Parts: sequence; structure tokens; C-alpha cells
Amino acid sequence: MNRRVALVICFGFGVVMFAQYFSQHPLARGVNQAVLEYWQIIFAFALLLGVVSFFQNNVRQIRHGSDRPYRIVSLIGLLAMPVVAVIGRIGAGSPFLWIFENVQAPMQSTVFALLAFFVASASFRGFRARSVPAAILLGAAILILLSRSAIGGPLSGWLPDAADWIRHQPSMAARRAILIGIGLGSLTTSLRVIVGIERTWLGGGK
Amino acid sequence: MNRVVSRHWIFLGLFVLVALAMGSGIRLDTPVSDRTAELYDFIESLPEGSVLLVSFDHEASSLPEIRPIGQALLRHAFRKNHRLIGMALLAEGTAIGYRLMQQAAAEYGKEYGKDYAYLGFKPQYIAAILSMGESIPATFPKDYLGRPYESLKALDGVATYADVAGVLSIADGSLTTHWMEYGRARYGVRVVSGVTAAMVTTYDPYLASGQMYAMMGGLRGAAEYEDLIARPGGGKRGMLAQTATHLYVIVLIGLGNLSYFLARRKKETS
Amino acid sequence: MSGSLLLVIAATDPAWFDVDKLPVLIAAIVSIIVIFYATYHRSRRGKFQVREIAGLKAVEDAIGRCTEMARPLLFTPGWGGDIQRPTTIASMNILAHVAEKTARYDCRLVYPTHDPVIMTVAQEVTREAYAQTGCADRYRQDDISYVTSSQFGYAAAVDGLISRLKPASVFLLGTFEAESLILAETGNNVGAIQIAGTDSTIQLSFFIVACDYTLIGEELFAASGYLSGDDSILASVRAQDMLKVLIGLLLVVAVVWNTICELTGATEQSWWSF
Repeated sequence: MNRRVALVICFGFGVVMFAQYFSQHPLARGVNQAVLEYWQIIFAFALLLGVVSFFQNNVRQIRHGSDRPYRIVSLIGLLAMPVVAVIGRIGAGSPFLWIFENVQAPMQSTVFALLAFFVASASFRGFRARSVPAAILLGAAILILLSRSAIGGPLSGWLPDAADWIRHQPSMAARRAILIGIGLGSLTTSLRVIVGIERTWLGGGK
Repeated sequence: MNRVVSRHWIFLGLFVLVALAMGSGIRLDTPVSDRTAELYDFIESLPEGSVLLVSFDHEASSLPEIRPIGQALLRHAFRKNHRLIGMALLAEGTAIGYRLMQQAAAEYGKEYGKDYAYLGFKPQYIAAILSMGESIPATFPKDYLGRPYESLKALDGVATYADVAGVLSIADGSLTTHWMEYGRARYGVRVVSGVTAAMVTTYDPYLASGQMYAMMGGLRGAAEYEDLIARPGGGKRGMLAQTATHLYVIVLIGLGNLSYFLARRKKETS
Repeated sequence: MSGSLLLVIAATDPAWFDVDKLPVLIAAIVSIIVIFYATYHRSRRGKFQVREIAGLKAVEDAIGRCTEMARPLLFTPGWGGDIQRPTTIASMNILAHVAEKTARYDCRLVYPTHDPVIMTVAQEVTREAYAQTGCADRYRQDDISYVTSSQFGYAAAVDGLISRLKPASVFLLGTFEAESLILAETGNNVGAIQIAGTDSTIQLSFFIVACDYTLIGEELFAASGYLSGDDSILASVRAQDMLKVLIGLLLVVAVVWNTICELTGATEQSWWSF
């Protein structure tokens, strides 16, 4: 019964939102605006669900003794930041902003910076000219790398042009084809969700 | 075991190279590409006082690349006396975007509330983009500092996308796609962007089809833009490190292939 | 409704129907008709065959590897999407299939995610799969967890899990952004077999270099039908193929039309752009 109600709501909203896209009438725009506002409200509650789940899960795991140091640090972060925000506010010069700019932002940048190291090791390990197509791909990659650096232009006048041609012709053709396929996949999946054929979002089952 | 060792040497080599490059202070010249020039021309050609919506669609992790991009674009817009309305569609970009706007505005003597305003963060980016198409004041009744929308002179006469010359999305991910899919496709707002290098090829098809009007990408794009506005910054500073890294990766690819072919030959002869 | 009737309505009350969006409506209606036709008329044609996809053939082997090595299987849907995203739904379909297998083989399934709603749905999907195989007692809710909504916080958390748990297999299926190579390389470092699939063309390049098997583009959407043999999903795959043929025909007609207009100097050559 609950699943049937959810499916009916999904179908109703799907049809209404599809129809309002083609209308400029104030009623249609009003419906659109209202749904968007409710969507944002629901998102806030979903975040609350995540926080509660995170807290409960980590407390359980700490009791079991698995990965205790990491989980304790996680919980300290989760609990301390709201307290700091409430006490010291979140404006310029506040402790909250200081922690964000001097702890969180550098930590995130550090993890992002790992990409550079991993690209280097992945290139050494994986970029092999095992076949003719792989060798062509390798050549193209080297051209693009050189063109995006400062020495590309001074090295040879045709290098930036060749790199641009690769980006705008064969690479873009392949990318567009993949995008069309993905777009069609998204279209069919979305339609299946709206009409109730696809029910995974309800938690599986038929 | 050998694989572990070679990986660590690769990491160490990269670290040393980047440290030396950044420490040297050498700035490389980069010829300006057509793409960057298009974005420059767009902002330059707008009548003075045009309204630009600047959306900081990035996280704190990409700040080393986003800061030079954002700084160059904001400096140019403020120099042209455009009215800037800042906002963020990702929570982490909120404070960063506000700080970037504040710093750039201070360089050109711009006043908050009069020459620029910052609306803050709105969750659920698709809903936010669509909602702003209906009414920006309804989406952001107050600005980032808690002041009512109507009280800010910088927001006078700005109700929907029809009242802005364009949306400038400063992004490190695929949020700009949503600006095009929902903002441009539904409401016709012009979308331009400054994105990290990793996202440049993602947006190439949109640029080619005209869904995105102009784009500047990566540290190199920032360096080129800094040349155009004659204000060197983080972009130019990072170009030597970027060039050195690219060459390093090319050398690694070469070494990897050399070891592969040598091993293959050894296998074939034995 | 016919196009002329729509135009009449638009003329009498312009606000009800936006005539500029008529081409979009036509394209949408054609697509819906094709999808419904493929879905509800499939019985006459017999089973639709999907070509062999290497990454999907390897799913069974990957799960078997986990069982033999007594190491867990890690499945994560990436940071870039939420539950409304079709890629995430396709990933959930694959999760259901994988969960059935891990339940049967008593292999631990670890599923970290960045979105609390995805976590909830994944818990339901997995619980249902375990119950259907009669192994409900093997289900561990704590293994399907929300880590953080922050991109690199999520990447760091999943990296930590991979480094500590040393899974024998890693499934990276969903919407990924810059964290893709970080996760794939870490999985590679612990010697896991990796099956990846995403809708991001940029991250596909990283996955192809770093992973053992990669599902490219719509192979991810076809995967759930391929694995489960579900007729409705296979019908959708067939519908996608039919729409691709239509799009291809449109492209050919538009190219020919544009070429003729260029050669003859005619000005009206943009009927296909909307």
C-alpha cells in the first residue's frame, strides 16, 4: 500500500512537472516555484538524516573498537563545528571561518593534490603503446600535454593548432556520441521511474 | 615490491620538481588563446554598469586553481564598473566566493551594496537555478549578510535572468552544465565560465554548439587572462610548475613505454 | 493533441503553451512513444539480446574473488550524483544484483556514500536482496554508511576504507567527479580488481587507465538489464537503440540540408536547432 501511494505521487508529480515545462502561464510557474521550494526543504531534512545516521554509526563502531581513532576525530569534528558556529558566529574573523580556511580547505586541497601524484603514477603504469590505436592515443595525449603547457607555442607553431584539432574534432565527436548515449539512458530511466516500471528508488523489489 | 618503490620515487620526483619550480619565482609567458580572448571580449564589450551574476560553483579543494581564475575575472569586471551579484551553489564555495569578491572590490574601491552584492548559498542547485529564473528576490530574500534584497542598490531592477547580462560560473565540476541545461535552455540567460583545467574538455561540446558563450580554463587560462588585464597573479606564478609537471609526465610515459618494450623484447628473444 | 490545435490554444491564451518549445514537445512525445512501444510490445519479438560487455561478465568473477580471498567487496556510487540521477538508479540496480551474490556467497559488502538518501535506498535494496536469498541474518546495516557530503572528505574516507579493509574487488559505479582517479589508484594499490562505470566522459578516461574493466556511457544503463535479465530494462535498452537510429537519421538529414543550403546560398537552414 505504501509503495503504491509513493508510485502514484511519483507519477503525478512527474506528469505535472513535465507539463509545466511547456507553459508560461502564471499557474504553471507558480506550481514550478512551489515544488522547487519544497524540494529544498526536503533536502534539508535529508541532510539531518545523514548527520544522525553518521553519528549513530560511528558511536556503534567506536564501541566495537573498529577504526576508533578515525571515528573519534570524525565525531569531534561533527560536534565541535556547530558549537563553534553558534558561540562565535560564522562571519568574517570568526573561529568557525578560521577553522574552515585553515583546516578544512587545506585538507581538501591536499586530497585534491593527490590527483597530480596519481596521474603521474597512472601514466607511468598504464599509458603503454600496446597496439596501434594505443600508440595513436599516446601521441595525442603528448600533443595535448605540450599544448597546455607554456612551451607548447614556442616549441612549434603547429602544435597548439594540432592539439586544438584533436580536441575539437575526433575527441569532441567521441564525447558527443557518449553524451547522446548517456542522455538517452537518462531519458529512458527517468521515464521508467515516472511510470513506475523502475522501482529501485523505493528500495528494490517488484 | 618493485612497483611500490617505483611509485614512491615518482611521487618524490614530482614533489621536488614542483617545489623547485614554485620556489624559483620564474614567470613564463603564455600566448593568449582564442577561447580566453572570447571571454575577455565578452566582459569588455558589455556596457559599463551591466549586471553580471557570478556563481561560485566550486569547493575549497580546488582553491589553488580557482583563486587565480576568479581573481582575474572579478578584477576585469570591477575595472569595467559592472555590477556584480555573487552567489554560490556549493556550500564550500560560499565563504570563498565572498572573500574573493571582497578582495577584488577593495582593489577597485567598490562598495558593498552599491557596486556589488553577495547573495550567499542556496542548496539543491537545480532547484536554485530554476527558482531564480522565476524570481531572484524570492529565491534570496536576504543577502549573505542578512540584509533584505530590496535594501541593496546593487540589486535594483534585478528580478530574473532577463535583467542580467549573463551568468559567470566559476566552477571546478559539472555545475556549469546545469546552468546551461536549466538557466540557458529554459530562461535564455547567457552562460560564460571560468573552470578548472580538468573540466575544459567536458564543456567543449557546449561551447561549440553555442550553449555556452565563452569559457576560460585552468591555470593557463588564468595566466592568459592576467596578461589581457595586465595584472599578473597566481596563474602566471603557477605556469612554470605546470609546464614542468607536464614534461615530467611525458618523460614518465616515455620511460614506462621503454621498460615495456624492453621487457617485451626480452620475452620474445627468450 | 495536434500541432495546429496547440497553436490555436497559444493564439487565444499565449501563456498556456509556449510555442517556442514545440520542437522539444515533439521530440519528447516521439521518445515516449518509442520507449512505450519497445517496453509493451516486447513479447512479440522475443528476448532482446545485449552484446557481451566485458565489465559485466567480470562481475561474477569479482565477487567470487572476494569469497576466495575472504576479503570484502567495496561498492561506491561516487560523489557527483544524488538519488534522482538516472546513473545512480542504474548503479542501484547493479547493487541489487551484487548484493544477492554477496549474500549467497557470504561475502562482506561495504557501501560508503556521500548522500544520506542514497544510503537509505542502498540499505533497503541490500536488505531486500539478502532477504530474497534467504540470508537476512548476513545483512550488516553498518557497512552501508553515509560518510560525508564533501567531495574530498568522501574521497579520503573511501580511500581510508580501501587501504584498511583491502577489498578484493572494488565497484566504482555511478556519477564520479575529480575523486575518481584517487579512488581507482588506491584500489589498484591494494591489488583489488576494479569495475568502474560513470556518465562523466572526463572520469571515464581515468577509469580506463586505472581500472580493470570500464563500462562506457550507456553500458552502465544496460548493465542492470544484462545482469538481471529483466525484460523491462532490456526493452529500455532497445528503445535507446531505436532513438539513436532516429537521431542519426536526423543528423544525416540536417547535414545534407545544411550542405545543400550552403552550396545554393539559401538562408533558411536552421529548422533543426531548438
